[in-house]
Amino acid sequence: MALSRLLIPHSLDPEIGRRIAVDLKADRAPVSDHIDALLKLAHDRHATVVEDFFPFASDEAKAAALRIISAWYLGVVDDAPGAKIVAYELALMFKPTSDVMTIPTYSISRPNGWGAAAAPLSAMPTF
Amino acid sequence: MTQEESADIVVVGTGVVGCLIAEQLLDAGHSVLMLEAGPRVERWQIVEKYRNLPPITTTNLDAAYPPTRWAPFLDSTSPLTAVDYLQLEGPNARAYRQDYVRYAGGSTWHWAGICWRLTPEDMRLKSLYGVGRDWAFDYATLEPYYTRVEQALGVCGPSEPELQWPPIRSKPYPMGRLPFGPGEQKFTDAAARLGLKNLPAAQARNSGVSYDGRPPCCGNNSCIPICPIGAKYDAASSLPRIEAKGGKILVNAVVYRVETGAANQVQAVHYFDPDKQSHRVTGKLFVIACNGIETPKLLLMSADTRNPRGVANSSDQVGRNMMDQPKLVAELTLAEPAWTGVGPVQGSSIMQTSQGDFRSEHAGALFRFNNMARSRLGAIQALKTGLVGKALDAEIRRLSACTAELTIEHELLPDPNNRLTLSDKKDALGIPKPNIYYDVGAYIRKSAEIYSTPLVKQLAHEMGATDVKVTTEFTNSDHIMGGLIMGTDPADSVVDVDCRAHDHPNLFLPGGGAMTTAGCGNSTLTMAALALKAADAMVAQLTHA
Repeated sequence: MALSRLLIPHSLDPEIGRRIAVDLKADRAPVSDHIDALLKLAHDRHATVVEDFFPFASDEAKAAALRIISAWYLGVVDDAPGAKIVAYELALMFKPTSDVMTIPTYSISRPNGWGAAAAPLSAMPTF
Repeated sequence: MTQEESADIVVVGTGVVGCLIAEQLLDAGHSVLMLEAGPRVERWQIVEKYRNLPPITTTNLDAAYPPTRWAPFLDSTSPLTAVDYLQLEGPNARAYRQDYVRYAGGSTWHWAGICWRLTPEDMRLKSLYGVGRDWAFDYATLEPYYTRVEQALGVCGPSEPELQWPPIRSKPYPMGRLPFGPGEQKFTDAAARLGLKNLPAAQARNSGVSYDGRPPCCGNNSCIPICPIGAKYDAASSLPRIEAKGGKILVNAVVYRVETGAANQVQAVHYFDPDKQSHRVTGKLFVIACNGIETPKLLLMSADTRNPRGVANSSDQVGRNMMDQPKLVAELTLAEPAWTGVGPVQGSSIMQTSQGDFRSEHAGALFRFNNMARSRLGAIQALKTGLVGKALDAEIRRLSACTAELTIEHELLPDPNNRLTLSDKKDALGIPKPNIYYDVGAYIRKSAEIYSTPLVKQLAHEMGATDVKVTTEFTNSDHIMGGLIMGTDPADSVVDVDCRAHDHPNLFLPGGGAMTTAGCGNSTLTMAALALKAADAMVAQLTHA
């Protein structure tokens, strides 16, 4: 979770983090080898956000970091048919558009409550 | 052989066609038994399955409906499973990968809910344009049934005649139109600048109010593959009502034979249960309504000494004239956000482009904005770029909002060479898989070349697209039509004007298979109208018996 919080500038659900950790350990390309290196790099660079240290990581460590980030966003460690997901409504992929778009099967509107007004791209929701 | 079941009317299939007929016959005081090849599930189970799919799978319409071993259908889970059931051949084999489900409630579980009518011209292609066939009756004959279906399903639509398609109606829609989201409005405005009218679709989705015990649409944007609240009509919602009226529904009952007797009357159907135990069901009237692929398949499998080419097939037209609306898709990148995905997954179309004297030369087409939310697609694409932090979020937002999809659906002519036959490959119960030869033909290829593709590019640019990619391989629209074609001449058609088999006075084959021409619009409303027309004929036939 410590590394996830450095990689992703949003509030993260610990239970989903636990599920991601379990699935990552069981995955064909474990990321555990790179976690300590990424944490050390972040510490050495006094990083508070991902932009502070990610560009300086090795290619292998970057790949591991992107797998962790991808799992939080997509709600699944390995996005392939038949894969078991770790999150749906809390998957971060829905958050950057949550002011406009519903999570399919959920609703942010009411009967005939939506309209044609287009929100600006710049109005990024906080999450 | 186990104990026999019997009813006045035996209905094979529990989709919209079978359910409308069952209910009307029950209301008229007759006993009804329905047979469904697949399982019966609850809405929440499908919703839960859908929410648990990995994002990459959610664009497969049928992923939330895994086929059972005994009632297989096309399974898009992987390239291998996608070719396992339907055996497709011909120049456009890929374009007949029809998505349907063999579940109680049928494919209305995952239909878009769009309810276009045919136009008078769509029903007179031969006499007006010298192509295809003419229907055995005119639009005025069909219109009262359209109106009844709109009431039965709960179809919403615009009250202004200039926004209706076609504006020839005896009654208003039971509910007013649904609003547009930003994307459909942007598409509408772009079309208007080109002199085209994007019409609010007639759709079986409750608009602003409850209808028939179902709630109003709240824009959950998962109509395909499942409306989580039942605001969209699906036949599954009528199953409990059918049972309350005394109808009996047997699920996991795979009908494999239609049995004929003296005077070529149908006297029974036979079904396998999942353990391949055979059961016989008798009745007075029989309805086979298992969709335009499974019904011809069953008739061909039922060949006997009286009907050596298959039941209802003295014309040799069963399984021929297979139709759909071959689809092409334009992928757009836009400078400004369109925000695809606000409201239902489909809600409008340009229909006027389906009509015109050009139909003597090439197909017409409808154009629509696909309103299925793109947040997951945006995230998948953005993550591939290796971005992190704020840049990743911004890219997800941009890709979700500033990409869009326009769909073209073409009118296919009935062609006897587009033919369903029985494959020598068998399913788990030993039942032959359907084999379909499919060629969209020169009529559509010419349309794509000189008409529809150029026009979709114009529409895309008018919407402010900075990049447009139009597919060239036709794909399926899942509107299965033609394989039981209707006509007045038993020598070149399968069913009469009431969807009664020419060869068997007590066998009805209503639905998309009976449609003589396809038009460009979604087929369900016409299928359902033919179902009610058949139901009237059945009630009259039983009354006079």
